[in-house]
Amino acid sequence: MRCVAVTPEKTVVDRETSFVVVPLYDGEYAIGPGHSPVVGRLGAGEARLTFEDGSVERWYVEGGFVETSNDVATILTNRAYPMAELDLDAAKKALEEALKRPASSPEAAEAKADAVATARARLRAAEKAARL
Amino acid sequence: MAKARALDKRRKSIAGIRKITRTMELVATAQFRRATERAVAADSYSKRIVRVVADLARAGLEISHPLLDKRESSRKAVLLVLTANRGMCGGYNGGVLRAALARLEELRRTYDEVELYVSGKRGVSFLKYRGWEFAKVFTNFEHKPTFEEVDEVASELLDRYRVGEIDRLDVAYTKFVSISKQYPLVETALPFAASTATDDEESSENAGESPFEFLPSPRSVLEEIVPNAFKAKMFQCFLDAAVGEQIARMIAMKAATENADAMISNLTRTYNRARQAQITNEIVEVVGGANALS
Repeated sequence: MRCVAVTPEKTVVDRETSFVVVPLYDGEYAIGPGHSPVVGRLGAGEARLTFEDGSVERWYVEGGFVETSNDVATILTNRAYPMAELDLDAAKKALEEALKRPASSPEAAEAKADAVATARARLRAAEKAARL
Repeated sequence: MAKARALDKRRKSIAGIRKITRTMELVATAQFRRATERAVAADSYSKRIVRVVADLARAGLEISHPLLDKRESSRKAVLLVLTANRGMCGGYNGGVLRAALARLEELRRTYDEVELYVSGKRGVSFLKYRGWEFAKVFTNFEHKPTFEEVDEVASELLDRYRVGEIDRLDVAYTKFVSISKQYPLVETALPFAASTATDDEESSENAGESPFEFLPSPRSVLEEIVPNAFKAKMFQCFLDAAVGEQIARMIAMKAATENADAMISNLTRTYNRARQAQITNEIVEVVGGANALS
């Protein structure tokens, strides 16, 4: 099964994989070879790609989609970093900033909730990366 | 001697200028290549997004989203103008600014308030001269705008639009079609044009059946895809502007170099002629003097 991860800037991964785990909006989702066609909404979190030789790559992705068809898993996301590159302090700061945003109207509250959830997920990923 | 020396001096200074324009041309060529590669990469992302939207349409979902709806109110509009930080690129800045000014006047007539976001020093100085005030100025976008930087601007505008602070967003930039065709364009970015999403021909052909299962639901996927498509579109605008700038500079500098070449050869000819005339003159003087003595 091929796995392709694309950001607006470049294609970050394009390799044969044996197993892919992606962070969907409401929990992790695993894709093996021959998976049925799916379009899934991604949340923020860790994507684990297991390659054919058994090695694992961990990526942090933030929003976007995963699409599987014809044995190709395509990850479309705005941001994708190797987990090791996540900065714990920057993630903490981002969360603080998100919490400070105003929630003066239903729309603003919604935007704030989105930002906070993303920042929390990022912090969680950064903490996990620090432990690894 | 005076004339010949003056000509030689001029020739030398033009040769110096030619060196500069030639270097700028080469730099622009290299940056243009890099910028094009990035534009192509971004294009592949946008194409995939469009494909997902096509799949959504095939699943029988009506494409509707708050970002796609036209606003009734006309309080505040934002115009984002993308120009270069530097000149020496022919009509590039002028073209964009002319288009931007026309739209600016139009917006001012229909909206109570118009905010200006300007990227590039050239645009800033021009619009300041014209007496406009800016809400925001960016000078960090050079030949290589990163998604991170663009996302910051796009997210801010998107948030302000979502909460109803602004009712419309227009972008004035240079559209890149091919290496031989770019033109200044003012587009409405918010409300987001659904046409970019639904002009796919495939979608109408196999309408009604979609092999895809949507997680958690087609509507939720749509909710995520519209802001993403908007950001991708904004990124594309910045990349197009960067590519357009490099091409414009490349062409302008090529013309300048060629012009310098023509001037140098002209000056060399005039210089040689002046020198020859001077030598002839001196010989005539020497011969005349000798004749007078004998």
